[in-house]
Amino acid sequence: MRTRLSILTWPEPKGGPHRAICHYCDTVHEAKPIEEGSRAVCLLCGATLFQNRPASLARVTSFSLSSLLLMVMVHTSPFVDMDAAGLRTELTLYGAAMALIDEGSTLVGMGVALFTIIAPLILAGGLFYVCAPLMFGRIAPGAMFVTRWMNRSEPWNMIEVFLLGVLVSLLKLGKVAELHFGFGFWAFAGLMVCMAAAVAAIDKRELWDRLEVARGK
Amino acid sequence: MSVVNGKEVSRGVELGLAGCHVCEKVSPVAAVHCPRCGSHLHLRKPDSIARTMALLIAAAIMYVPANLLPVLTTRELGISTESTIVAGMIQFWNKGSYPIAIVIFTASIVIPLLKIVSLLWLCAAAKGLVPHSAKILGKVYWITELLGRWSMVDIFVVAILVAMVQLGNYMIITPGPGALAFAGVVLLTMFAAMSFDPKLLWDQLEREEDVSSAQTLS
Repeated sequence: MRTRLSILTWPEPKGGPHRAICHYCDTVHEAKPIEEGSRAVCLLCGATLFQNRPASLARVTSFSLSSLLLMVMVHTSPFVDMDAAGLRTELTLYGAAMALIDEGSTLVGMGVALFTIIAPLILAGGLFYVCAPLMFGRIAPGAMFVTRWMNRSEPWNMIEVFLLGVLVSLLKLGKVAELHFGFGFWAFAGLMVCMAAAVAAIDKRELWDRLEVARGK
Repeated sequence: MSVVNGKEVSRGVELGLAGCHVCEKVSPVAAVHCPRCGSHLHLRKPDSIARTMALLIAAAIMYVPANLLPVLTTRELGISTESTIVAGMIQFWNKGSYPIAIVIFTASIVIPLLKIVSLLWLCAAAKGLVPHSAKILGKVYWITELLGRWSMVDIFVVAILVAMVQLGNYMIITPGPGALAFAGVVLLTMFAAMSFDPKLLWDQLEREEDVSSAQTLS
């Protein structure tokens, strides 16, 4: 019964009173548990304080696992094939970053690798590593450390921006060459959706509350 | 302490309470480290305005080479042509690809400029140099943080074109020095947005209210 409860509800850590401070205006609120699907807003400025997402752990775990599987597909099959001048070139995520490094733009290439490969991997891998054991009320070794790095890498995950970049490039190249969408492109589009769903599935506050409760057991 | 909709509310700075910027737990700032996750606690982001301004000035300087230097060089049948971000956009426009030209214009020219201008405005407002509504500027800050990353699209386009267009003697695309400068602008403005603390807008508002109430009393 205890494990079932840990799947369903947002547990309250020991102690209290629990408070929440608005990130925008610094107003202190008493943080009472709220119903699933609702959000708590700041009395003074109206910004969101926290949200109780429905079925949070189940959703994070499934969407982050799907993201990881899609990443494997994205890295093993090309986005686009291009036939031009009797030559065939392919686009992959790794290839895009490496092309810049090979052509001497090492820093920019490393940035591209960070934004499209490393940050998404830390984010999806971290969410799965931390949230899957939490579904059973357990805490993974080093979960707090992983969660901190996950929070840190979040602004640098730019897969949706890269997808826009692919579309702009294809419009540029479509006039000079024949292009074929590969399986990797569709896997990448799916990855974008799954990553967004995984990140939005749990409030940062809920995740840390759950970690605190699981650690205290 | 102030009253909103009949309820008394206090600010963290009055009670000496800080919300952890990593795990959001609220603790007395005197504890120095968050009891839950061990992060350093502070009431306001350290040296917020000085850091934001320094990063903004650096971004504004980088904005010049980012737009003047070529982001890529195309060598077609032995002839090299260099193109800047603006030139690439004009090319799309002239070919009739208006939506794509507008996307590039927005992401690479409008957003970085708007970010620099709006963060400058936010810093000025937090210092009390311009009149402001903290509520509206809080939203401006939120949008600034949200949109910043989309400027990176041009760097990704360069990476993709360089990776795909390696067709021997027929056509080769290589990255230009403008790409590094442009990525620098995007990164610097992202760091600038992260360094700014929107709570300072409300601190300034409170100072102004204190001054005006003191004036009415005297």
